Amino acid sequence: MRTLKLLSAFLKVNVQMSLAYRADTVVNILLNIMWLGWELLSLSIIFNNTETIGGWGFGELIALLGVFRLVHTLMIALIWPNTEKFNQSIRDGSMDYTLLQPINSMFLVTFSRITVWRVWDLVLATVLIVVGINIAGDIVTPLSLLTFLLLTVSGAVVIYSLWIVLIALTFWFTKFDNNVTILQALLDAGRYPVTVYPVWLRILVTFIVPIAVATTVPLQALRGDLVVSRALMFIGISIASFLIASRVWKAGLKQYSGASS
Amino acid sequence: MLKIFQRLWQVNWAEQWQYRANLIMYLLYWLVSPIIYLAVWTSIANSKGSVNGLTANDFVTYYMTLLIVDQITSNIVIHTFAYKIQDGTLSGELIRPIHPMLTNTLVNNIAFKTLPIMGFIPIWIILFFLYKPDFSNVALNGILLAIPAMMMGFFVGFLLSAAITALAFWTTRVYSIHEFYFALILLFSGQFVPLTLMPKLIQDIAQYLPFQLLIYYPIQLILGKLSNAQIVQGYVMGVVWLVVAIAIFSWVWRNGVKRFSAVGA
Repeated sequence: MRTLKLLSAFLKVNVQMSLAYRADTVVNILLNIMWLGWELLSLSIIFNNTETIGGWGFGELIALLGVFRLVHTLMIALIWPNTEKFNQSIRDGSMDYTLLQPINSMFLVTFSRITVWRVWDLVLATVLIVVGINIAGDIVTPLSLLTFLLLTVSGAVVIYSLWIVLIALTFWFTKFDNNVTILQALLDAGRYPVTVYPVWLRILVTFIVPIAVATTVPLQALRGDLVVSRALMFIGISIASFLIASRVWKAGLKQYSGASS
Repeated sequence: MLKIFQRLWQVNWAEQWQYRANLIMYLLYWLVSPIIYLAVWTSIANSKGSVNGLTANDFVTYYMTLLIVDQITSNIVIHTFAYKIQDGTLSGELIRPIHPMLTNTLVNNIAFKTLPIMGFIPIWIILFFLYKPDFSNVALNGILLAIPAMMMGFFVGFLLSAAITALAFWTTRVYSIHEFYFALILLFSGQFVPLTLMPKLIQDIAQYLPFQLLIYYPIQLILGKLSNAQIVQGYVMGVVWLVVAIAIFSWVWRNGVKRFSAVGA
């Protein structure tokens, strides 16, 4: 309950901050629509020349684009702004104040900045997923929908956990400013089904920087490509990765000694 | 003047070596999206035999050449300069008797590229053995023609980016403007696919825009895919756009500096 209260307080603060830059918000939404146009154009160019890629059709790629946008939103609305603040606080020592607060520091560090207008991206993503699945004509059962939702959440948790580990590394190597660039660099791989990629890239984006776990995998569930045991495995992995990440965070905090001392 | 450039090079080059860790991340950025497009298009070409006359090998050679060309012609002016206008640190550079953009920033950009180029040679060789592309159409004169073309492309791109960066003298939304400009590059340069696969309208417009000078034109030169008439046309476009870019940049810069009143001054 307390967590929800805090979260709504964070949201309120962030809405107020973004209201100070209304025109920027409008410009950003326009740019966002422009990128959507570009993404749809690039898909239509691909499907002018083929009916399927990696066994997936046009509709399914639209739906994948929707799932990709969910991950992208997580990246841009939460991961980037909080990382920026975190890196700054390690450098100038304001992390001390964060640690003095009587709340879980991991929660505070990862949720205090939220780019609020990006919420609109979630709506857009949902529309893309629904429209895409309709075009593809895949039959959605309550079970496949449920596994899809569970796997989307667990994919997000896996990426969130990796993020925690990456920023926690900053406690050991203070000058590790590039902590999330590796996530950002590989993010684009989530736009297409990993079945298209060469083996090394598939391994990289499934096991090491698991972008695919949050994009291709949930959609495989929605298409009915994923056996239940696999789905359970991915959910298990996400729980495990979250537990590991909290451990790493705690160990990192012990390393922290403040900027001026 | 030469001495100034030499000195700036030493400073900027030494500076790049501070950020060795960034290099790996940067190489990853540079590598990922061309490899994704390469994978997508070769998988289509393999299943269909060819796409619009392009075979799987055509796509492999295209994107592997793109990796090199893009590295040479791209620039990072917006990231290294816009903030100087915004936070006022530009003042210190303005009182020097040399142009801040055309000397220090230019050399900084070149130094920034040179280190990754050294780093990517081994990666490129690994890719070569992974994909075993057939580069037999590449001839020496194509490469020789591509070198000045890439330099032209770099300078056109640099000056246009510099002009957009200098819009920071007027507006704080310069990053949004640059994002729009970046979308134009994606659309018209051939970064996503060889331009022949783009809709006809985009191809027709792209011919007259500067963006293909950054990617598509040098790649096609290297791969030996252009007729003599097309080569001449590309060079003419290059020279025309170089002149236009110089004119745009000097106009924006001259008027921008007049408006500049440093923060905190």
